[in-house]
Amino acid sequence: ADWKYAFEESLTDVQGVYATKFKEAVEANSDHTITLFPYGSLGESADIMEQTQAGLLQFVNQSPGFTGALIPEAQVFFVPYLLPTDQDHLGRFFKNSKAINEDFVGLYANQGLELLSMYPEGEVAMTTKSPVKSCADLDEVKFRVMTNPLLVESYKAFGATPTPLPWGEVYGGLQTNIIQGQENPTFFLFSTKIYEVTDHITYAGHNNFTTALMANKQFYDGLSAEEQKVVQDAAASAFDYIVGYQKSLADSELDKIKEAKPAMTITVLSDEERACFKNAAAEVEAKFIEMTGEGGKAILDQMKADLDATRD
Amino acid sequence: MKSDDPNSTDQHQMNGFLGVLDTAVSRVESFMLAFGVLLMAANTVINVVGRFVFQHSLFFSEELNRILIILITFAGISYAARQGRHIRMSAIFDMMPARIRKVMMILIACVTSLAMFALCIFAIRYITSVAASGRVLPALAIPVFWIFLWVPVGFFMTGVQYALTAVKNIFDKDIYLSTQVLEGYEDDEFEV
Amino acid sequence: MALTIFLIMVVLLLLGFPMMIPLLAATFTGFMMLFGDIGKTDFMVQQIMAGIRPASLIAVPMFILAADIMTRGQSAGRLIDMVMKFVGHVKGGLAVSTATACTLFGAVSGSTQATVVAVGSPLRPRMLKAGYKDSFVLALIINASDIAFLIPPSIGMIIYGVISSTSIAELFIAGIGPGLLLLVLFSAYSMIYATVKGVPTEPKASWGERLAAVRRAVWPLGFPLIIVGGIYGGVFSPTEAAAVCVLYAVFLEFVVFRSLKWPEMYTIAKSTGLITAVVFILVGAGASFSWVISFAQVPQQILASIGITEMGPHGVLAVISIAFFIGCMFVDPIVVILILVPIFAPVVKSVGLDPVLVGTIITLQVAIGSATPPFGCDIFTAIAIFKRPYIDVIRGIFPFTVILLCVSAALIFFPQIALFLRDLAFR
Ligand code: NA
Ligand code: NA
Repeated sequence: ADWKYAFEESLTDVQGVYATKFKEAVEANSDHTITLFPYGSLGESADIMEQTQAGLLQFVNQSPGFTGALIPEAQVFFVPYLLPTDQDHLGRFFKNSKAINEDFVGLYANQGLELLSMYPEGEVAMTTKSPVKSCADLDEVKFRVMTNPLLVESYKAFGATPTPLPWGEVYGGLQTNIIQGQENPTFFLFSTKIYEVTDHITYAGHNNFTTALMANKQFYDGLSAEEQKVVQDAAASAFDYIVGYQKSLADSELDKIKEAKPAMTITVLSDEERACFKNAAAEVEAKFIEMTGEGGKAILDQMKADLDATRD
Repeated sequence: MKSDDPNSTDQHQMNGFLGVLDTAVSRVESFMLAFGVLLMAANTVINVVGRFVFQHSLFFSEELNRILIILITFAGISYAARQGRHIRMSAIFDMMPARIRKVMMILIACVTSLAMFALCIFAIRYITSVAASGRVLPALAIPVFWIFLWVPVGFFMTGVQYALTAVKNIFDKDIYLSTQVLEGYEDDEFEV
Repeated sequence: MALTIFLIMVVLLLLGFPMMIPLLAATFTGFMMLFGDIGKTDFMVQQIMAGIRPASLIAVPMFILAADIMTRGQSAGRLIDMVMKFVGHVKGGLAVSTATACTLFGAVSGSTQATVVAVGSPLRPRMLKAGYKDSFVLALIINASDIAFLIPPSIGMIIYGVISSTSIAELFIAGIGPGLLLLVLFSAYSMIYATVKGVPTEPKASWGERLAAVRRAVWPLGFPLIIVGGIYGGVFSPTEAAAVCVLYAVFLEFVVFRSLKWPEMYTIAKSTGLITAVVFILVGAGASFSWVISFAQVPQQILASIGITEMGPHGVLAVISIAFFIGCMFVDPIVVILILVPIFAPVVKSVGLDPVLVGTIITLQVAIGSATPPFGCDIFTAIAIFKRPYIDVIRGIFPFTVILLCVSAALIFFPQIALFLRDLAFR
């Protein structure tokens, strides 16, 4: 059969590369084919999610930032300084974590979704119009965030004025100074040209962008054991590929930004400079538990345990 | 645009209980339209003022506007149906003799009415599934399905308008674009 | 399948159904053919809602509201009087002013529908009074509004840039050349039209009269200040500028000029809501239709069948132009960009075309598409706002479409029209 797979980025971005690898693996090991639908071709993130839940699509890639409206616990990925920026550690974590591979699988199943894989898209960088060395530098900066309550809380705690704005308005908003900052993984800064309208890139190590591939559960449960294995293997091989791929991606895309805009300053904050961001993180963590209750706390604790267990 | 006289009398209005009901519905719809537009303007202006004077955006401003645009669109489609203002390509229609135009108008009104009722049902089903998913608006933290409640109502009321138009065309000797508007593009917006 | 739903749409359209019906019926047929399950048609509603979701659409009712207040009051009249004192004696002067006003307003507001309303509603009565035929006036307003797509900031270019990973800054600069070329050509056509049709001119105003007119227009000149200064100055987003214009219009007409009474605000708001609804339901139905087309991979199939991979650069550019032109005939331009750009991306890369040139050509096609029958947002807006039948609104469009198509062809063979400024700034 021809399976439909929608995701939130372009074909050449991380989600697109992952999707292409997944498609290749499935088509090589079965008679099934996969049609890929990149960003916007079937609607926005919430739309493709609903289409997958209803079985119009078989696979959807959605970042937990958007899933938060459906599964509050998924907002845990926005607790600052929870995930490490060390990509090897992250790779081991996603592969072996009980929180990811058991707890979240259950939470997604409640929504009619089979969670196939969670994978990292790279460290989140802040891009701004004036340099950022500490939280004080974010004072009165209107900082664009995704419409996600925990992200709003984070940037409030960092001292900025969080401004939720749909992605389509971010470039124009930066250009016309409605907002003065936004955050995204490095490759996205280059591919979406956001670097053209900001002057400073800052790495505070506060987060690593996570995304997830899932299937319609009814569809998945209806597959033969053999077909399920093909799907699982494809997700696993795409995961392995993407972890290696995106490790060097941040550096290569950063080089492209430097080449296109030599005046761009790139700052990696020192531990002292990160202190105020880390202090703010505790506040956000408390807020997360307040918003998600016992279930949220359990996931958070499990993730911390899993992260410790996968440290080397 | 012509200036509308709020007191103009309306010779095409329906009679009897249905007429009273229709007038009442029309008043509610027009209130929703005006209220929605004015609230949208106020919300956006207050957000600008908040940003400059108090350094704070209204966290729900964008979501409120999204709710209002749905309200305006779906209160508006049935109001527009009553006013005969929906956009159509009438070039061929207008060239036909009156008798054929009459038949075509009845057909158009019937089919459109059915389509609107069907969409009303689709909308109810869609809302039910959104409600079941438990999705909430990120900023306002209210369930998403609430903002769609006007959608089936708007489709239903539009369906009713076109059904009444079909009836009117069957029993009346003139050709009507809507229950209140004769065909032709004179400036004939009726006020209630 | 593509043929079936296309036929259903065209037949219902020609029979004179309200235009949402051909779109929705075609979409419904598509759903049934794809899924064979009426249970899936819920997603028609999802996509209608998705179509009216973009935050940038909010600017449309806001500008309609502001324009309606200005037009019913005195602001619009005073602004136009001022312009007329300067250009009224020139053949076609008013038409050229209208075209320029559309270009400027559209460029800044970012919304062609808002431009049709905001510039069209005050200027159309004045042009009619001056002796221009309505068919010409409507066509001029609709087409000149679309130049906005090419002049920064342009939503279409931003979306193209984001999904094709092309420099948006370069796209913006590249759009200016073709945008201005169009304005010049439209102006030239207007002057020729006014001369051939013998549109009368006003006597030349003295500098005293001009000064008096400027004085009368001092308050209303705040509008361009809010819009141009506010948006380019980074104070407001276009939507916010629109809302601030509403506030300023209320202040002028109800407080300063006292030309309107408060109960009229209700009527104006209701009329704004009505126009918004009839246009937005079509935007929504169009989004629903395009979902079916995209899901069924119709564009991919058509492109595969014409063998685009064997064509040279000029051939590819021609196919892209035609594809976007046709796409925009049926659905909203932004949706067309979202669906078609990824499909063409590999071909563009393999023949080595400059993505900035491609983006400019696509944006031009999108501009043409919104003003060209059968489906075009600007046409719908003009019908809704001016209460003219469809056929009247499109009657005068042909000469403008010819000019637009000539510029498209010129852009393919003389890319320097677009790239000259870009190279000057970036290379
Ligand atoms: Na523009
Ligand atoms: Na069109």
